[in-house]
Amino acid sequence: MIKVMLRGESYAARVWRKTRNGVGVEVGLAWIALLVFAAVFAPFLANSMPLLMSKDGIISAPVLHYLSVEDAWVLASFFIALLLYKLKLSIGQRISLFLCGAMIAAILVNLLINPPKLVIYDEFRSPAYTQVDWRIMPPIPYAPTDYLRDLASKGLEAPFESTGHLHLMGTEENGADVLSRMIHASRIALSIGLIASGIALFIGVIVGGLMGYFSGLTDMLGMRLVEIFEDIPTLFLLLTFVAFFGRSLYMMMVIIGITSWSGYARYVRTEFLKLRKQDYVQAAVASGLPLSSILFRHMLPNGIAPLLVALSFGIAGAILSEATLSFLGLGVVDAPSWGQMLDQAVKSSSFNWWMAVFPGGAIFMTVFAYNLIGEAFRDAIDPKLSDDAGTE
Amino acid sequence: MIPTLLGITVLVFTVMAMSPGGISAQTLVGGMDMKPQEKQALLNYYNKRYGLDKPAPLQYLHWLNNVLPIGFVMDEQGNQGEFSFTKGMDLGTSFQYGRPVADILAERIPITLLLNLVTIPVTYLIAIFVGMKSATHRGGRFDVGMGMSMLALWSIPTMLAGVLLLGFFANIQHFQWFPTSGISSREALDMPFLPHWGATGFVRGFLLDRLWHLVLPVLCLSYGGFAALAKLTRTSILENLHSDYARTARAKGLAEQEVLWRHVFRNSLLPLITISAGLLPSLLAGSLIVEHIFSIDGMGQLAVEAVKGRDRELVLSITWVSGFLTLIGYLLADFCYTLADPRVSYD
Repeated sequence: MIKVMLRGESYAARVWRKTRNGVGVEVGLAWIALLVFAAVFAPFLANSMPLLMSKDGIISAPVLHYLSVEDAWVLASFFIALLLYKLKLSIGQRISLFLCGAMIAAILVNLLINPPKLVIYDEFRSPAYTQVDWRIMPPIPYAPTDYLRDLASKGLEAPFESTGHLHLMGTEENGADVLSRMIHASRIALSIGLIASGIALFIGVIVGGLMGYFSGLTDMLGMRLVEIFEDIPTLFLLLTFVAFFGRSLYMMMVIIGITSWSGYARYVRTEFLKLRKQDYVQAAVASGLPLSSILFRHMLPNGIAPLLVALSFGIAGAILSEATLSFLGLGVVDAPSWGQMLDQAVKSSSFNWWMAVFPGGAIFMTVFAYNLIGEAFRDAIDPKLSDDAGTE
Repeated sequence: MIPTLLGITVLVFTVMAMSPGGISAQTLVGGMDMKPQEKQALLNYYNKRYGLDKPAPLQYLHWLNNVLPIGFVMDEQGNQGEFSFTKGMDLGTSFQYGRPVADILAERIPITLLLNLVTIPVTYLIAIFVGMKSATHRGGRFDVGMGMSMLALWSIPTMLAGVLLLGFFANIQHFQWFPTSGISSREALDMPFLPHWGATGFVRGFLLDRLWHLVLPVLCLSYGGFAALAKLTRTSILENLHSDYARTARAKGLAEQEVLWRHVFRNSLLPLITISAGLLPSLLAGSLIVEHIFSIDGMGQLAVEAVKGRDRELVLSITWVSGFLTLIGYLLADFCYTLADPRVSYD
């Protein structure tokens, strides 16, 4: 077989290079990397138990003993992703291998890890854990649900205000450390952003692809469907869905996904309408390829660029949707989330700036980061829309 | 337009009908303190009135018949009467408030509309000013700074802005410059409309009081909009600034201001108008959060309450009304096209 080697960079490489040159994108990518780090290593960054301790000559790691199934799975998937990034594989192989690995990890983790049901944080400040030879504590020595009752925490302490224990970002009314809760909440923000937009993208590509490829009647009916979803203010639709279907994290991802696909469908439709009469598509049709092959193997890669821009903005939107729902008191109940923390700030009897500024700032930074990336990406793909547009 | 409206109601109805327990069970969750026979009587009444004991598609048709201004007349027993063109719209009764939905909406919609109608001109004025200035001073300090800060502004979640504004500028701990909630003070309702000097000194009047209450909510609602619009204005003006007709106008010897405002600006308006149609749904959604934060009893607040209380009639009505308002926005945008650009015509 003859292998054709092309000199110079590919389209993807050029777009990526153009996207990367700019300060804004670097800031955005750095912030998201920070968030990923916080989300993956949350139990090691903010927890009440020692990471490592040596008592009577026996070295133990309580934090591993109390690691939940979710924590372990997130860690495992992260390292699988890292490994795949290092290996030289095609994108398709990477994605399928990652999904396989994540599945296997999920099964193994569920079988192997069996954390204690009841965690009493006060115990970690009892002699059993404090009178030791040496111990290493996490950087933020408070778990998100540790209300510090034994330390007689009054709650509502401004940053650096409390005596005896340090709270970098203050505490909430019930005494929980704000920074610790924020670190653990970054998980919800990231996962909602990615999975909800993934679902939306999936629906959008299929509906939009069919609309664009068949055009005619399918297109007309599809467009009406898109219009229906666009004409109801998304938040109203979201509220209706959330109110009538439970409030679990996974349900929320699905709901945000199925209320925000219309934009993607529009993009894919426009692209496919342009592509459907191209020679290579006609050739694919003539050679009798199945529909899925024509749509997704031949047409989609050529129309994917604007979709990725929309995806970047879509992730920002999904994170904002989750935060808004949590803020309105319709979000996930049992886990900390930034929106919910912002809601706590409003509900508390007096205005405590640290309760609003930090979680709100985190939402802002995340949304801003994704918007910056989306903007830079769009400029790289479409020079007409860039900031340099309009000159001769 | 009408198929879209129908589609909206079908969608919302489907969501509610698919919900676990169905509509009838959920609306009766609240009646825990009722006697069994009272509960049964209420259930019978609802069944009769809304056809809750029928399958979901029939329920939907039942509801649609009630809402449409033309249709079959229903008697008290829920039996179908004859077809009529003048039976009027019946939006039903809210389960939660025990009042007709039409009355509640009539109270709430003007408040939300007021908020949005004040916001839209503010948004456009600032956006056009900023966009024009950055386009004419392209690449300058103003342009670069604004480009970045507009994207930043756009990314600030409304809830954060609202909470911070409320916390710092309507708070006795910091600056108590603005009222914390509502859109009118209690005593302002008895004041005359315009501000004037009275016997007891300055009376701020109804108008000024209303404006004073609106400052923070409108600020909150508008910044996201003008950030996005300013960017669009800039791109749109830049495209036209170097076009042939602008060069011709300059060659004719027209003043630069003249070229800018009479020729370039007018041609740059079209994308702005297109966006204005899509602005309304986002403003409605935004006012939901703003109303929640500033405790303004508008439609957004009503939507949250209705959804939390699982109030079927109210949720359905709010959704289709908001969809209707959006469609009217599209219609107005189409109308504005013809005003801005005589070349656009609809046959």
